[in-house]
Amino acid sequence: MHKVLIVDDSPTLRKMVRASLAGVAADLLEAATGLEAIEQLALSPIQLIVLDLNMPDMHGIDVMKFVRGHRNYKDVPIIVLTTRNDEASRRTAAEAGATTYLTKPFLPQTLATAARSLLEHV
Amino acid sequence: MSEGFFDGFLDDYFAECEEHLTGARRALLALESSIGDVAAERPVIDELFRYFHSLKGISAMVELRPAEELAHHLEDYLRALRQREVAVTPVGIEVLEQGIQRLGAVIGAHRSKQTPPSTDDLAARIASLAALPGGLAAPAQSASAAASSGERFWTCTFVPTRELMERGIGVDVIRKKLAEVGRIVDAAPRVAPDGTIAFAFTVATTTDDREALDELMADGIVLELAGGAATDGGLLPVAQPLEGTHFGSVAPSHVVRVDMTRLDELIQSVGDLVISRARLVDSLSRIERHVPSAEWRAIQENTLAIDRQLRMLREKIMRVRLVPIGEIFRRMPFVVRDLARESGRKVTLELRGQSTEIDKYLIERMMDPVVHLVRNAVSHGIEPAEERIAKGKPPDGTITLSASTVGEVFTIEVMDDGHGIDAAAVIAQARAVGLPIPLDPSDPQALLALICAPGFSTTADADRVSGRGVGMAVVKSTVEELSGTIRLESTPGVGTRFFIDLPLTLAITDALIGRVGGESFAVPQGAVREVIEIASADVRALEQNEVVPYRGASLPIVRLGKLLGIAEEPVERFHAFVIGTGSAAVGLAVHRVVGHREIVVRAITDPLVKVAGISGATDLGDGRVVLILDPVLIVRLVCDRAARSVGDASTWGRMLA
Amino acid sequence: MDTFILFLVAGTTYAVRSREVQHMEMLEQVTRVPNAAPFVDGVVFSRGQVVPAVNLRARFGFERTPYDLRTRLIVVRDDDRSVGLVADEGREFIKLAADAIQPPQDALAGLSGRYVEGIASIGDRLVLVLNLKQLLSFSEPLVAA
Repeated sequence: MHKVLIVDDSPTLRKMVRASLAGVAADLLEAATGLEAIEQLALSPIQLIVLDLNMPDMHGIDVMKFVRGHRNYKDVPIIVLTTRNDEASRRTAAEAGATTYLTKPFLPQTLATAARSLLEHV
Repeated sequence: MSEGFFDGFLDDYFAECEEHLTGARRALLALESSIGDVAAERPVIDELFRYFHSLKGISAMVELRPAEELAHHLEDYLRALRQREVAVTPVGIEVLEQGIQRLGAVIGAHRSKQTPPSTDDLAARIASLAALPGGLAAPAQSASAAASSGERFWTCTFVPTRELMERGIGVDVIRKKLAEVGRIVDAAPRVAPDGTIAFAFTVATTTDDREALDELMADGIVLELAGGAATDGGLLPVAQPLEGTHFGSVAPSHVVRVDMTRLDELIQSVGDLVISRARLVDSLSRIERHVPSAEWRAIQENTLAIDRQLRMLREKIMRVRLVPIGEIFRRMPFVVRDLARESGRKVTLELRGQSTEIDKYLIERMMDPVVHLVRNAVSHGIEPAEERIAKGKPPDGTITLSASTVGEVFTIEVMDDGHGIDAAAVIAQARAVGLPIPLDPSDPQALLALICAPGFSTTADADRVSGRGVGMAVVKSTVEELSGTIRLESTPGVGTRFFIDLPLTLAITDALIGRVGGESFAVPQGAVREVIEIASADVRALEQNEVVPYRGASLPIVRLGKLLGIAEEPVERFHAFVIGTGSAAVGLAVHRVVGHREIVVRAITDPLVKVAGISGATDLGDGRVVLILDPVLIVRLVCDRAARSVGDASTWGRMLA
Repeated sequence: MDTFILFLVAGTTYAVRSREVQHMEMLEQVTRVPNAAPFVDGVVFSRGQVVPAVNLRARFGFERTPYDLRTRLIVVRDDDRSVGLVADEGREFIKLAADAIQPPQDALAGLSGRYVEGIASIGDRLVLVLNLKQLLSFSEPLVAA
């Protein structure tokens, strides 16, 4: 069974993402901080990460750089969640290795479709 | 949109907002009581920034636009504070308070299904605060790294395992425990050579409580004492290796170092893509009549999309070349500190506009000149403390280094509140070394010219304090090489300001290079429909003109060599740029089109050489001037003239007279 | 007292105030600009700027000669214009008092007369002090862009 890791420091956002991915055939794991996200990655195989950028302990970009720099996890697809008018973050995210991004607000089905298609190619 | 789907989460939304707003109010109080204390301000500003950012994100998800936008403005202001572009002021605190209150009101109104209050006025106020240039304190190093007395540093390494996880011990729990024991200075993931992930925390603590520490050890944390007593403000020594395992460190960073040549290669590749696309479009247009119109429309859409994407790609690559000037400014506090110490002065350094972006090449070239100006300010500008006090100035001198962009010009300013330029001393020195004395000795630009003249400061002068090697003459010539200018403003007794103006973006354009009779010319790609090869045998004379067969019709050609009076050898085949479309198309013939490249456009401004049809000049790399043609204008002028033509129009001069 | 830079053109020594001179350099190659004024050899890059090269021989009505190792480009400044003057040879700096410069006589022959502000005697040499503004203006109409 595929595992999807949802990383966001907002509990509301995590719930919303979880609800959006309800129809996707995967186990949904959560992490509220960058370090916890990496911990989850270390403990079980993850096939997709949905990542918010702004987290208190370790910025999402740094999490991505870590993931992309680790030989075991460098190919894990990452969907980044960004806010409107944040061109700079999108650029940095793309450079840091994001597979794709979604801008808030996003349609739940958009996230679900993106997740499904990325999981298909795993 | 997604009405209804996320509505089920409104309760969660309101609850979370309440948490963030409460936290923000608390943080704001803390900020108010630490105005001016840079070290204390820093973490609070970060906290506030995160609150507003989170509020923005969740408000966006529930589509509460007014809240999202207000939070966005507040976030922007906090960003400006964080990047030290503006300072925290009582007015700022007040506005932040209003912002938090209004946000609460907007969210509350949504909850009770009432009309939310307007936010435009407040948004405007916040935006103007974020844009005000404010005085800045010197940038502190990571404040939390400096240790207070009695603190010792411990490095703690935690390796997560499933077993520990099952017992409820994860990295977050560990962090909370460490925070109880001391102050967490750093927390980062580490990777062992075999791929195992661990977390390294650096904790500063005064506690000697072995019990608390032992308890932690039982949880699977390895604790080591690092470096003994607190070090002097610097960052800590690397953690000691764990029992034979070496942990590589993953450097968390947003920055990649890229070779300039790689970027140029990227741009070249994009250029090649553009040409290929053009050729594709050309081939497609040849088969257009064989394709049903529905299919053709789809093809058109695709090529338009490719067009757009290529353009964006190019733009993005060009932006990668831009780097914040903070890269240079970052060095300055060290320069100032060392110099101030050596010269016995006390100097405060203020930095502004550090996030202003500038081409990386310019940054590299400007590093030394800016350092030199700052050194000069410290060693020659600022007076000794007693003198300053006698003048009614604060005993510490202030040097302000700022960067800003206005339109196409990027300006770096080095300002000091020292004794100003002593015009009489400069003139005397000029006389002593035999430099011409300006007519108006009080004209700052004339003084600047003297100061920058080679030979102005003799080796006897060159202070060991202000260093050797980079003199004002080199500063000036470097700035001029970059097509910039230096200006000076100075008031005796009050201070001095040096301004360096640099063109922000060199005008860069894609061009095709054509050769005619041994000379090269650049033709902007945008003006060229396509490049064709012509067999001399196919050229027909038609009245005064020459034409060649082209796309089933005739294309008149104009020989550039003839226009420019350049002698050419007869050849079997030659190239032409097709300018214009359809029946208005004209071929501008050269000998060969030798390539395509990006060129930096230099203006030709002097009236002696400003001629119609030449739109500028460029350097293809060997220092020679290569003229950039304006083919559309050339062709138009030629055709107009031909239409009125009387007699032989074989030189350009006559055609355009 | 003003400092002047001296240079040779077709055997005659000319002078320009040194505060009007930005710098002097050797001249390698000039790119011809079609339809520019006939006494302009073309343009060169100088300290990052595109600068016209005015051939003083041509300007003064002499025959052009090819550039050699002694040829110099003297880049002068007039308001915000930077213009290069092509001279056969660069010479020394001298100081001249204002009263050492005599106004040119009406009978001064040759085209250069138009551009001469005054004449000075230095030892047994006659030095023609140039009027930059006149020198840098152009008499032939250029086609406006």
